[in-house]
Amino acid sequence: MPNENRTASPRLLVACAITAALFVIACKAIADAPREITMGLVQKIFYFHVPCAWLLMLSTLVCAGGSVAYLFGGSERGDRVAVTASELGVVFGLCVLVSGPLWAKAAWGVYWQWEARLTSSLLLWLMLVAYVLARRYGGAAARRLAAALALFAAIDIPLVYFSVRFFRSIHPQTTVVSTLGPGMRGAFWLSLLAFTALWWVLFSARMATENAYARLVDLEVLLDQAEEKKS
Amino acid sequence: MNMVALAYGFIWVAVFGYVVIVGRRLGKLSGEMDELRRRIDRLRPS
Repeated sequence: MPNENRTASPRLLVACAITAALFVIACKAIADAPREITMGLVQKIFYFHVPCAWLLMLSTLVCAGGSVAYLFGGSERGDRVAVTASELGVVFGLCVLVSGPLWAKAAWGVYWQWEARLTSSLLLWLMLVAYVLARRYGGAAARRLAAALALFAAIDIPLVYFSVRFFRSIHPQTTVVSTLGPGMRGAFWLSLLAFTALWWVLFSARMATENAYARLVDLEVLLDQAEEKKS
Repeated sequence: MNMVALAYGFIWVAVFGYVVIVGRRLGKLSGEMDELRRRIDRLRPS
């Protein structure tokens, strides 16, 4: 039978094109943005380190939202949303945990400090990794356990965000965006928009495969029953 | 410059790697759909 339905959806293709255009514009803005006086060129890591951190938090919140819908409402769709978001959280969390130390080495002279922001971010990422591993290898019994883990991960988000205010930290404060110069601020917001669009494209594509897989499993069950009847 | 290039590069490698993983899963899904189609065809009265 021909595979006539296996082309990407037009909406997803349009979203890909918009995301690519946003990245071109953002990269131009980052290249044109003035260099920070004390750190120089390495400060430009900021333009994608912070968007990746935002996407780590967004993924965790979406994962927790989906998990709440699954745990308390029995929503299978919520469960699929949670699985999809957790994977994106692992990807963008890894980007934060690699780009941050590279910036830190140039700015602080060390790759890592066991201080509140860095440690709580690592903890958040490890919880998402645990979620993904539980879902991949834990079988059906691990679904509820993983959903509960997603809620714990969401509780870590305020700790990550406010840690620089509540604990003594060498990490820049949450107010750093408002202190950026005009050239830097525009580049930052464009980069944030481009990364958020990328997140949405990846989320939509992954969610489409999760939905298709769920329909496939339903059809297999129906087909098993039909085959049984026929024999 | 090296640190900036390394950080940028890593992010794109990570995103590309994830896209490859999703693509491979999609391939597996397509294989399972083909199998399902064959089973449906077998069930149809000839």
